[in-house]
Amino acid sequence: MRPFDEVLEGDELEPAAFLHAKEQVRSYARASGIYFPRFTDDEGARREGLPGMITPGNMSMGLIATYLERWSGAGTLRRLGTTFRGLLLPDRTVRICGVVTQRDEAARTVEVDVWIENDDGERSVIGTATLELG
Amino acid sequence: MPLAIDPAILGQEFDRAAHEPVTAEELISFASALRETQARYLEPGPDLVAHPTYCVRFKGQKFFPDTLPESLRFRMSFDAGKDIALGTPIRPGDVITVVSTLHEVYEKTGRTGSMVFVVVRFTMENQRGETVAVVDNRFMYKGLEA
Repeated sequence: MRPFDEVLEGDELEPAAFLHAKEQVRSYARASGIYFPRFTDDEGARREGLPGMITPGNMSMGLIATYLERWSGAGTLRRLGTTFRGLLLPDRTVRICGVVTQRDEAARTVEVDVWIENDDGERSVIGTATLELG
Repeated sequence: MPLAIDPAILGQEFDRAAHEPVTAEELISFASALRETQARYLEPGPDLVAHPTYCVRFKGQKFFPDTLPESLRFRMSFDAGKDIALGTPIRPGDVITVVSTLHEVYEKTGRTGSMVFVVVRFTMENQRGETVAVVDNRFMYKGLEA
């Protein structure tokens, strides 16, 4: 667990950049019981009026949670709020980024602004999280 | 209050659903799909717990209460986002019950016009009555007139 006393407001979390693969989206859809065409098949997604396979919003939340706890430690996430601003299309490189915005000395928690962006810097998901540190 | 929503329907339980017991395999598959590497979420055994967002797998049997105005109930909405407050970790064998309430309905005006947001709250408990998560689901409707 990351020590609370080592974290300052304004600290930037190291971004995580990775290829957001279609197969990963299919794995998530299968594991979540949402194995629908829009999340698994480009042609099926287009028949629904979408540009191709899309990422479930819940998966975006999950990737953000994984990213945050890699920084703060397993079991430290207390709250996560997200807004889905646009479609997150797979088979692209994405970056997850975060910045510490507030510290609560009494609760030993920090607030973090977090987002997922594509290569053009467009943010498809934005959010805030509360993490309880050591 | 937009669309003549009866304030009395806010906070009222409109659905309750109990789910099948959670299995270790399900927890591990879910965490793996989210690029998890932490043993707590991946290794079988007594210390295995669910990934923090596993709670979003659970839903009620109805999306909205029957008392929601028809203009909202039968119109397409967009998933605008979620807010999760986490409680007791979910473990293999847990039976999760989801209680659904209509938490909030509000209007916003943006660059693209007016929007109505409907927030459905899922309060989730395990078989011991411990709260494992509270999830607020935000649905957005465009172009509705108050």
